[in-house]
Amino acid sequence: MEAWGLLEGVYAIWLREVKRAIRDRGQLVGGISRPLLWVLILGIGLNPFFRGEIYGEVRFVVPFTYLQFIFPAVIVLNIMYTSVQSAVSVIWDREFGFLREVLVSPMPRSLILFGKILGGTTVALFHGCLVLVLARFVDVTITWDSALRGLGLMILLAFGLTSFGVIIANRIKSFEGFGVFANAVILPLYFTSSSVFPLDPSLSRAQTQVIYPEWLVDVVSWNPITYAVDALRGVFLDFNQFDPRVGPIVILAMAIGFFAIALWEFRRS
Amino acid sequence: MQETGTPAASEPVIEVDRITKHYGNTLALDEVSLSVAPNQAFALLGPNGAGKTTLMHILCSILQPDGGTARVAGYDVVRQPLRARKRLGMVFQEPSLDDRLTVYENLNFHCLIYQVPGRERQRRIAEVLELVELSEWRDRLVRTLSSGMKRRLEIARALVHDSRIVFLDEPTVGLDVQSRARIWDYLAELRKRRDLTLVVTTHYIEEVESCDRVCIIDHGRILVQGTPEQLKAEYGQQTLRVTPRDPETAAEILAAHPDARSRGEELIMAVAGQDFVDRFLARFGTRVSLFSLESPSLEGVFLSLTGRELRDAAASGREQTYAFGRRGGEHTR
Repeated sequence: MEAWGLLEGVYAIWLREVKRAIRDRGQLVGGISRPLLWVLILGIGLNPFFRGEIYGEVRFVVPFTYLQFIFPAVIVLNIMYTSVQSAVSVIWDREFGFLREVLVSPMPRSLILFGKILGGTTVALFHGCLVLVLARFVDVTITWDSALRGLGLMILLAFGLTSFGVIIANRIKSFEGFGVFANAVILPLYFTSSSVFPLDPSLSRAQTQVIYPEWLVDVVSWNPITYAVDALRGVFLDFNQFDPRVGPIVILAMAIGFFAIALWEFRRS
Repeated sequence: MQETGTPAASEPVIEVDRITKHYGNTLALDEVSLSVAPNQAFALLGPNGAGKTTLMHILCSILQPDGGTARVAGYDVVRQPLRARKRLGMVFQEPSLDDRLTVYENLNFHCLIYQVPGRERQRRIAEVLELVELSEWRDRLVRTLSSGMKRRLEIARALVHDSRIVFLDEPTVGLDVQSRARIWDYLAELRKRRDLTLVVTTHYIEEVESCDRVCIIDHGRILVQGTPEQLKAEYGQQTLRVTPRDPETAAEILAAHPDARSRGEELIMAVAGQDFVDRFLARFGTRVSLFSLESPSLEGVFLSLTGRELRDAAASGREQTYAFGRRGGEHTR
């Protein structure tokens, strides 16, 4: 009975997050316009230039088009934006006093945080799925199998990134500050995740370093989002730049690690 | 719902024993001890910064005391905070509603996180909405409500999980006189309907008069506790107002009582000693057109104990509180 009551409490917190997101039109507009911008405009625009050609000489054959290449990365981008942005509600609760209403309730803090992050995860997952709708326009065939595996990874990724957003929100005092900070974190992470420009998968590391400066290669290989993008490429394009086991492990580690940090901070405050 | 944690009627429902709290070098509460009997309306009165809100926050277990123990409904607020919280309702000083949800959604959220059983939820929500006269606003977004209505909704929310102890931290601050009176009407109505222990902090002395017990607190210490009548009898000052019939009498009274103040035609003086009034009447009784004896007010009690006007201290104090809150202080937690 006790456990059921707590579960209902988590449901209430989750439901509130989802309801607030649904009523916030701006967030939905962002969730739809972002993939359209990246896939339809940037993707289609750059598609013809994406060849294994350097200085007029074809060095290697790329097994997919630029549109296909960028597609999994846009899923990650949309999830990343929405997840981190959902942490705004943490600031909102704090500034407008609602947090106290939850803190004096008989809900344990761990479940309060869990419900909140689960709510953000749901919204982010939904925005990730909005990108999947574009799959047929970019010649990515989605089977039941790849859809399920993809969704599993997307849930874990959204969970980890929402936790990450909460960690950021704990350090930010104002809404305005959060917007700037979120962009300053999201965009560099996204650009250096082998998402928009290829650290070409068919190249060895030595070959990559011929084309790109070494620091960039290092940054990309240190960025955990690189492996998240790679995991989704593995699922949707059946192509992995790295060992196929690395991506899911990194995503899982982010989910567990960021949640643990967020929980530790929330309990302490 | 069964009130398993509620002690027998004679035992106090809230017990505070030598609670101490520091903020850095500032001593917010200095070994405060008090107890509240069941079904009492208990008022905490004090200027801002006196430690009222700190005490409230410790009692609802969102703030840890540095020393001492506190029990609410028989549960230690430090060791069994979740059990203690389930039995109490809280109305914070600053609003704590989600104004993007509707009135009903706010209450339903509260019921769910307080583990109110599903079959009772609808009935209770309807009941409290009816009590605070918000039934017609059930499906409105909270942000469309006036501040008085929001306050009423917060009171309804503090009751909806069948709490028998309700803390109200400045429930009427920032409201117009009408809304303030209405809120007290609801609280009185509630106490008729169910067993309810109220702990209220307020700046408005006239609101305290209706409480069973008053505790005056300043600089983190309890100055006095008692019923309003006791406090007035012990610390209050009776005053005598007379209007002399002619200027000669006025001059004579002033000569006999040099401490008397004159306001227009009226002379106001403090009643000193038991037979003061008798002696005054024997001497001047036939020469005054108006004679009134005023009972002591709590305002006077407060003034004589703290040496401060409550209302004036309040205005600047609130500003300080808000500033403190913006810096991420106690009140924002």
